[in-house]
Amino acid sequence: MDYDVMVVGAGIAGMEAAVSLGDMGYRVLLVEKEPSIGGKMILLSKVFPTLDCASCISTPKMALSASHANIDLRVFSEVREVRRDGAGGFRVRVARKPAFVDFAKCTGCQDCEKACTVTVPDEYNENLVSRRVAHIAFPQAVPKKAVLDRAGTSPCTAACPAGIKANGYISLIRQGEFARAFQLVLDDAPLVGTLGRACYAPCQRECTREEIGDAPHIRHLKRFVADWYYERHPEPEYGPPEKKLDKRVAIIGSGPAGLSAAYFLARRGYPVTVFEAGPEPGGMLRSSLPDYRLPKDVVDRDIHNVTALGVEVRVNARVDSLAGLREQRFDAVLAAIGTPKPKKLLVPGEDLAGVVSGIEFLAEVLCGQKLDLAGRRVAVIGGGNVAIDAARTALRLGAAKVVLQYRRSRAEMPASPEELAAAEAEGVELALLSNPVAFEGEAGRLQRVRSVRMKPAEAGADGRRRTVPVPGSESAAEFDLAVVAIGLSAEAAALRRELPLARDGSIQADPRTLQADRPWLFAAGDAVTGPAMIVQAMGLGKRAAFYMDRWLRGEALDRVEFEPRLPVVDKKEVLARQTEYPARSVTKGERHPQERIKDFDEVELPFRPDEAVASAANCLNCGICSECQECKRVCPADAIDFDQRERVDEYAVRSVVVATGFRLFPAELMETFGYGKYPNVITAMQMDRLVAPTRPYNYVLRPGDGKAPANIAYVFCTGSRDRTKNNPICSRVCCMYSLKQAQLLLGALPVADITIYNIDIRAFGKGYDEFFEQTRAMGVRFVKGKVARVSEAGNGNLKVRYEDIDAGGTVQEAEHDLVVLSVGIVAHDECRGLFADAELQLDETLFVAQPGKQVDPARTSIPGVFSAGTATGPLDIPDSILSAGAAAAQTAAYIERMKRKP
Amino acid sequence: MEEKKRKIGVYICHCGGNISDHVDVEEVRRRIEKEYGVTVAKTSMFTCSDASQTEMMKDIQEQGLDGMVVASCSPKLHLTTFRNMSTRAGLNPFQYVQVNIREQCSWAHSDDHEGATCKAANLVGAGIEKALRQEALQPIRVTSVKKVLVIGAGIAGLRAAIELADLGVEVFVVEREASGGGQVAALGEMFPAGKVGSELAASLLAEARRRPNVTLFLNAELAEKSGHIGEFELAIRVRPPGAAEETVRIQVGAILVATGFAEYEPKPGEYAFGQPGVVTLSQFEKLLQEGDGRLLHQGREVRTVAFIYCVGSRQCGEGEDLNRWCSRYCCSAACHQAVLAARKFPGVRSYHFYRDMRTYGKFETIYEEAGKAGAVFLRFHEERPPRVERDGDSLRVVVQDLLTGGDEVAVAADLVVLVTGMTARPNDALTRVLKLPLGADRFYNEIHPKLRPVETVIDGVYIAGACQGPKNAGESVVSSLSAVAKAAALLIKGYVDLQPFVAYVQADTCTWCGKCQPACPYGAIEKVAYGDKEVARVVDVLCKGCGACLPPCPVDATQLKGYTDGQVEAMIDVLAREAEHER
Repeated sequence: MDYDVMVVGAGIAGMEAAVSLGDMGYRVLLVEKEPSIGGKMILLSKVFPTLDCASCISTPKMALSASHANIDLRVFSEVREVRRDGAGGFRVRVARKPAFVDFAKCTGCQDCEKACTVTVPDEYNENLVSRRVAHIAFPQAVPKKAVLDRAGTSPCTAACPAGIKANGYISLIRQGEFARAFQLVLDDAPLVGTLGRACYAPCQRECTREEIGDAPHIRHLKRFVADWYYERHPEPEYGPPEKKLDKRVAIIGSGPAGLSAAYFLARRGYPVTVFEAGPEPGGMLRSSLPDYRLPKDVVDRDIHNVTALGVEVRVNARVDSLAGLREQRFDAVLAAIGTPKPKKLLVPGEDLAGVVSGIEFLAEVLCGQKLDLAGRRVAVIGGGNVAIDAARTALRLGAAKVVLQYRRSRAEMPASPEELAAAEAEGVELALLSNPVAFEGEAGRLQRVRSVRMKPAEAGADGRRRTVPVPGSESAAEFDLAVVAIGLSAEAAALRRELPLARDGSIQADPRTLQADRPWLFAAGDAVTGPAMIVQAMGLGKRAAFYMDRWLRGEALDRVEFEPRLPVVDKKEVLARQTEYPARSVTKGERHPQERIKDFDEVELPFRPDEAVASAANCLNCGICSECQECKRVCPADAIDFDQRERVDEYAVRSVVVATGFRLFPAELMETFGYGKYPNVITAMQMDRLVAPTRPYNYVLRPGDGKAPANIAYVFCTGSRDRTKNNPICSRVCCMYSLKQAQLLLGALPVADITIYNIDIRAFGKGYDEFFEQTRAMGVRFVKGKVARVSEAGNGNLKVRYEDIDAGGTVQEAEHDLVVLSVGIVAHDECRGLFADAELQLDETLFVAQPGKQVDPARTSIPGVFSAGTATGPLDIPDSILSAGAAAAQTAAYIERMKRKP
Repeated sequence: MEEKKRKIGVYICHCGGNISDHVDVEEVRRRIEKEYGVTVAKTSMFTCSDASQTEMMKDIQEQGLDGMVVASCSPKLHLTTFRNMSTRAGLNPFQYVQVNIREQCSWAHSDDHEGATCKAANLVGAGIEKALRQEALQPIRVTSVKKVLVIGAGIAGLRAAIELADLGVEVFVVEREASGGGQVAALGEMFPAGKVGSELAASLLAEARRRPNVTLFLNAELAEKSGHIGEFELAIRVRPPGAAEETVRIQVGAILVATGFAEYEPKPGEYAFGQPGVVTLSQFEKLLQEGDGRLLHQGREVRTVAFIYCVGSRQCGEGEDLNRWCSRYCCSAACHQAVLAARKFPGVRSYHFYRDMRTYGKFETIYEEAGKAGAVFLRFHEERPPRVERDGDSLRVVVQDLLTGGDEVAVAADLVVLVTGMTARPNDALTRVLKLPLGADRFYNEIHPKLRPVETVIDGVYIAGACQGPKNAGESVVSSLSAVAKAAALLIKGYVDLQPFVAYVQADTCTWCGKCQPACPYGAIEKVAYGDKEVARVVDVLCKGCGACLPPCPVDATQLKGYTDGQVEAMIDVLAREAEHER
């Protein structure tokens, strides 16, 4: 038996029961679902009728619960199941929710809280103020450990093949932390400037805010931080890592995949050599992305992020043999050789002068060859991004007419819609459902493109709509240049003979580890996947580096997940969090199409800092935690652990005490009282926070406009004694806590008028009626009568319509500047489903039933399960504490009887 | 001064900003680090955090500290925390000194940072002086006898006895009356569970008697008590009717007082009490039980009942002896009786004259049920209570009913039931024997309604049930079971550790002038022979360390451990020196 008793819930009753049982020598498991024990009581201001500070009463009990030799405390944990073990005891399953903080290391210093970039409503302050996502529940929390709220992975971050934390850098930009935002991107991908311009931004398509408008311009924000940072740091701020490992790595290809892998391996301390066949590193970034989209100085600066780590890039160094590399004593090799070979149409005339491939055309232009297309007619064949780049480049070279010819319809075009739109704006003509059948020319030079019209047919094996030629629709048009950009494939090179190839020519590697048929050989990038996005190649480079490192260190590659992530947040859930979405619209600027086609300067205009911050501020923080890593950066104890996941422990216990407490009546259910509609209608729990020692403001003020209230109304029995709200019973505490608040308010706001609208004043406990009389003597006005309606009077004041019984039952109306709803206590069904093989009976008000009411108050319908505190119904604090004591005694007697049983 | 140089560790807490927002914690550290004896002086974001405690323990062990000062919050919060830490580190826990610079400096002087910082440094300085002169103390450990005396065999006492017995504790129950069961034994159907009181009492008595480790003394009273928590010596006086009185001496570890309440007895003439047709709540309860087919009072059939609430409760106006409290159970009880009357005697109508209907919590449904059963409710203002008038043979209750616009309403009634409240049961002899404190309401007083609701200032003496304040039967049981938990925790362990901060007498100096003895409120000072003279001696286990015996001593022979003259004077010196300095 692990424990004599498990106490569920560590509010005042749970703590009292646990400590009493612990004092009696029983081993207690105390489980609390919140990050701190203390329940609702610790959040209160003072407590009636003695007006002790709730903290002063609670904290010693909290400290004792946490330090008691016989109590094991599990906070931020939930009981998942209680099952009878057949021997009179129970098997219980307790889940520790991930706090993403190693409690053993956390010292409660709150540095993470100060650094955290996301705020959410502070539930411990009844949502009157906000708190950070990394937070300690409240100042007196026990244990004083930080917790991170994470709803899951933000859709933008989840969409990034390179694992770039989009939500994170947006959050940092929102804070004006541009350098940190840059660093956060750099942590996942070295080519920040490149991605900020030329990435097709799958993140943007997934952005939840796209559904309601004003989504942040995610890629453009990345460009902003790259520009901002590079302007201030022409060179990286770091050099080669101090740690030097002796295993050497060779990387073949210096495109995005190769550079990314080189970067991550070099950061880990490996000496890395990159072999580039061309004259300069960068692969396709350099040879096929036009400057108006990606200036080459940006690529240069990006590559410095890699080379600064000591990565050696050998240019004009074509690798012909893996064996040769092994002879040069490289311990591991990554093939990131891309797909540099253009596909051919395989139609007559393709070898004519004036017919070129897209990437050849782009490469020529990019390596500085002067091409003048002034007055020329250019046909670009293909529907992908290379085709569009070629078409737009042709325009910039002065072409009189550029036609983009594509055999399917617009919907099937693989090009980014953004790029296509830009091309059309610049004057590129589209010839859709049209396919060349021959290039015709004279003297070996292109003169005409003969094409056929196509029509849709049924979908092919790949699911895309196929098209078929329309018979007899052939026609020819005059063109001076035809650029064929219909796809890329792997190159036939000497090296490939040594590589494991699939039928389509791609390198075969384990899709998870990217390890090829030899353990020291890995492959990444387009060479593995076929032509894909830059960001995807970079992601694969990172993945390959991760597994290469493990392999080089002799660690197993199986069972270890690369960059484990929480499940993606449901967008519907995100959109349900708020009722309003204020936004500042920010438009991404572009040069005018007629202007920009005159040169190769960038099309997009950069954000100003204020635009960047405004655009970032439209982010909805879908994941709640943005993963900006600031907490991790500042934590002096290295306690932040994003990889923490729920853990379920199982224990054997003899008995269970249910001390799961209550729920406050949701005031918005009283529609006529205007809670949630009028800002100056608040609940009494909110008022308790306003007057608590750890109050959110230093003054009592009304939320609507911050004015100090001078005429406060209390509306009693909000949600209690009301069959229309399915709560026929009295909540026992509301009269008294309101009287207490009235007394405290008269101290805080000596000139304020306080009116209490009540049916009966139920001051029934020891010293309570005396407290009521005292409150009356202090000048609080009591009006007997039920409030019918609260409405706004303008200037934020509220009109209270009520029946005045003392004045002959007439209907009256009074104006107040703050209305406090004395909300009742209702049951929550948390404990209902816990018991797997027995029913925990509830009473008609859904509180835990007490079948032994008069003499066995703590007994429940399940033998061995006892109840304490408000789990069984509304109780004030003294009665809760007494009931917990009774539960302890009855549980102890039960345990003793069980022990005596043969 | 002290013989060997002491090594004191000082930790000053930021309390996350609770302190450091208003007190320059680093400056405090700078000011005290050079003080005599200070070996370690550090600041910490949260001294109470696990990490800080670990660091302190390391310092204690590595630096060989023999005194520890933590300047943080009120000792109410973390005195125990740091004493436990000291114990774990091998330092005598009583050589730990807590200095409160949060409540006493940062919170009190949030408008004056410099002043708060000075005051904090001075308080820490004084704490260091105290620690320098603090010798290692051992807790006063007394063994506890695993037996309990329960006083009162009502529902609370019997229920406690049964539970204690099941926990392996031997229980003695003394009951003043000739039979057990208390007031519940006289009741019929009770709310809210619908159990019959007499049956409930009988079954509890049987359960108690069934247990071999429960001894029930009827016609018995506690006559004498001596000893202390864990080991009380008691004399029980038993007066069986028709037999000789006998005194039984027993030893117990704890005492549970469950003597119940007395129903308020209306003064003659109060709401016509004393006249025919005017009864109390309990008298009406009996009529309900007795009536068979017809509700009868003094041979006459009752068709209309008028309940007048708050009789003997919530009394207002001037005067010392007024029952100002609410008796808690009576609203529900009266409604319940109206429901029972309507059920048992269809046709009986009830009228309820009330002030506030306090059917709290789930008892609200009883109120609702009474209304459904035809009860009519009239509300009176406390300054305009109803009048009971006699009209020939019949009674009439006249009231200004607030629910119908303050009209004067007269209700003719066959029976007027005064809804009488609960008062403290007169128990002067017992109160004297136990030295139990009473509240202004003359009920027994707990130490604190939330922190220690069933404990009294007399260690080892617990109160339960309605002797502490008005409660219904179920609530009495809850409180008595709660007392069981406390008593059991005390006794199961087998010993009690008392704090060693008690007074002691320097016998060489003492001349036995006798002045200290009457000053002690706990009877902890005794006269003993010392060599050839008589001196005072403090009985450790009785002393509460209040210090009342110190001032009367003309020769300063009495001292208080932990607050010796030397310690207090040194502390004052620091504070005075600093005050001088600041001027």
